[in-house]
Amino acid sequence: MKSAHDIRAALPIVLAIAGGVLLFDLMAFGFGQAPASALRMAFDGTWGTAYGIGQVLFKATPLLFTGLAFEVALRAGLFNIGAEGQLALASLVGAVVASKLPPSLPAVVALPIVLCVAAATGAAVAFVPAILRVRRGVHEIITAIMVNRIVDAILPWALATVLGSTSLRTADIAPGAALPRLERVFPALTGSAASFAFPLAVVSVFVVIELLRRSRVGREIRWVGLRAEACRAEGIAVEQRLLLAMLLSGAVAALAVSSTALGYKGYYELGLGAGAGWSGIAVAMLGRGSAMGIVLAAVFLGTLEQAGLAVNARVPKEAMDVLEAALIVLVAVATRAAAKEEAANKRDDEPFEEKPARAAATEEVAR
Amino acid sequence: MLGSVRGPVIKIEGLGVRYGNFWAVRDASVTLEPGVIHAIIGENGAGKSTLLKAAAGFVPIVTGNVRVEGDANASTIGMVHQHFMLVSAFTALENLVLGAEPTQSFGRLDLARARTRANELMKQSGLSVNLDATTRDMAVGERQRLEILRVLFRGARAVLLDEPTAVLSPIEAEELYATLARLAKEGATIAVVTHHLDEVIRFAHHVTVMRRGRTVASRSIDRTQSAALEDELTRAIMGGEPPAPTKAPSLPDKPSEALTIDNLVLVDGSGKRVLDGVRLSVKAGEIVGVAGIEGNGQRELGRAVAGLEPNVTGTIALGGKPFEPVRSMDDMRARRRALAVVHEDRHADGLMLQASVGDNLVLGELGELSSTMDEKNAVVRRIDHFGIFPADAERAAGSLSGGNQQKIVMARALDRIEASAARAAVVLGQPTRGVDVGAAAVIHRAIVSAAERGLGVLVISADLGELKRLSHRIVVLSGGRIVAELPPDSPDDVIGRAMLGMEAA
Repeated sequence: MKSAHDIRAALPIVLAIAGGVLLFDLMAFGFGQAPASALRMAFDGTWGTAYGIGQVLFKATPLLFTGLAFEVALRAGLFNIGAEGQLALASLVGAVVASKLPPSLPAVVALPIVLCVAAATGAAVAFVPAILRVRRGVHEIITAIMVNRIVDAILPWALATVLGSTSLRTADIAPGAALPRLERVFPALTGSAASFAFPLAVVSVFVVIELLRRSRVGREIRWVGLRAEACRAEGIAVEQRLLLAMLLSGAVAALAVSSTALGYKGYYELGLGAGAGWSGIAVAMLGRGSAMGIVLAAVFLGTLEQAGLAVNARVPKEAMDVLEAALIVLVAVATRAAAKEEAANKRDDEPFEEKPARAAATEEVAR
Repeated sequence: MLGSVRGPVIKIEGLGVRYGNFWAVRDASVTLEPGVIHAIIGENGAGKSTLLKAAAGFVPIVTGNVRVEGDANASTIGMVHQHFMLVSAFTALENLVLGAEPTQSFGRLDLARARTRANELMKQSGLSVNLDATTRDMAVGERQRLEILRVLFRGARAVLLDEPTAVLSPIEAEELYATLARLAKEGATIAVVTHHLDEVIRFAHHVTVMRRGRTVASRSIDRTQSAALEDELTRAIMGGEPPAPTKAPSLPDKPSEALTIDNLVLVDGSGKRVLDGVRLSVKAGEIVGVAGIEGNGQRELGRAVAGLEPNVTGTIALGGKPFEPVRSMDDMRARRRALAVVHEDRHADGLMLQASVGDNLVLGELGELSSTMDEKNAVVRRIDHFGIFPADAERAAGSLSGGNQQKIVMARALDRIEASAARAAVVLGQPTRGVDVGAAAVIHRAIVSAAERGLGVLVISADLGELKRLSHRIVVLSGGRIVAELPPDSPDDVIGRAMLGMEAA
């Protein structure tokens, strides 16, 4: 009985992926390629080879952090769409600090320093929308967008003037601050850019989600997100919890620097890691709140990105961007359908629906 | 539109409705005839609302059937839900026509025609609302009339109402039943779900009792034998002996002050003094009832005492000790150690409907319960003491019936304050609103036992019967002021006049 429900719940996801493959075939065909061979190419570039797998993990790593970041804020009922700016400034500051560290500093000292500096920078950037929301009630989406634009403007200026770099990049980081590549322990992954940032990210996802579920602060953050008024009435420091969630979100987003500047390039250059903040939103939405869901969603998006690169020679990258976006929509629809199926199985008892008036009204209209 | 068209006969036979694996209605059979007020009573979760929803076609039927027999163009069934389904930003007229808008060419809204029809309908049905008022500014009773009008506007000749009187003052409730009786007399089919037995006996013509998803009794009402009838219905609802009525406990000899409020003033955003110099005191072990018509400062009084209204002025003392206005979380915590408040709007200020029952039961106490073991014990104890059903801490609070949701907020407040060394008073807003006889008895016993343990209890309620049974004294709140203080055995009309702000004796 239960497994039958599980299969029914999983069906929309399978259909979405099948739809994605079909769409890919159509696109490849449209660009004058044999669909089967293009598909083969995409598969070889991702899950078909050890190198491809490594690249998928590499692409998925920043998305794990930014997806988790969005999820943390979302639990408190906040939309942190500022991950892009938080990550960018944190990457610059982190890389600059990393480049100033003495080369002889061992990794056990250097890495924590750099990661802490980056996290603190990310939190500081997130503080702006957070405090304005908590103290003044300004919607965090608007302020976060503006903060993103400010950071966008500051970065090239800081690189060009304060840091005096002509190529818009920082100096190389100290060796101790670099995260080793995964190929060191898994030689099969040779050549891929996957670093120890990936396991770090996966562990972070599970630890943070678990903290949200079990720790006092985490539970109170979730409760505030569910109904702030009831929490206030029962003596929970609502503002403080909101602020904390947003700062934590900014810090987690900033940790994505581990996979880019620290684990891959060895320096920060303008545009490194750009876009991860936005994709993180999709990851959190597809992940639907569970740690496993976030990991799967990040790997899924990482696969799409890498597949796009793999077939780039035959199918233009733009076509792959279209496919990626279309697939995210498909999967989002599918997960909603699956969630509904689950909910229908779980729902017991007399439902006391709490519909906003407008939804109720539209329902009335629909009838 | 109304005319003399008779409403349909709604025949429900062997109805079963299932949500997931739970049978909300197992086997219900009832015939709703036009021309009479048909009451449906039963405990929370007995399946009354679901029965109505199935009859109106809102929920899918699993077994049995609903047959609507009557004139084809008068077979529309309208339902007035427990929670109002109105767009609060719209005017009454806009809400009235929503979904059935008369239009001119190119789909332009014809509000003038709508107004004419609305006025006609109001005249015929005797229901009146101010069509130009914004819905959110309307009083509850007026919003309810609007809901009924909305149903009639769509040509419904059968009106099913789910707990329409739960949010009304006694006077408004009486008016509502007068309206329903008039509609019934003109041939409409009327069914009302309610918790108030006295309403059934006074106003209904036929009553059906539901218990655990089944219809267990259905009979017409003989008003000459109301006492025997009440007894019989209570037994049918409970499936056994009715609980002994609770009484206020005797007062201690030299009671100390538990809660003293002096000159409490609160001005709302539009400059209205919603609390206008409230002065009252509750002694330890005493139960003081606050009567009043909805919207006369009850909600604000509860929130102000709880420390949730930062702009309130005046003094509040707990256990004889004056408390500073709440400026910080520390002030808030100090106040919570002496006081527990149950807010009247449990959905807005009390519960997280999507969180589990367990989480709701310890909301705000994570810093006070020292371990997860403590927490688990507190949850189990609270579920147990208050008989929260189903007794499953993992279930989402929103999936429980209204009465059991109310038990959650009551259990949390009373159990927490009893364990506090600095306890002084509890303030309970509408403790049994929308709650069935059995759950109300549990809650009333808990209120009395809180007083017996030396807490001062302030009960703010729209249910006069409840206040008269429980309280040592009744004070009447009107226009943000305490306008009268009366003994609990005062006749209803004396209290009623005070509630309306008329001079009391």
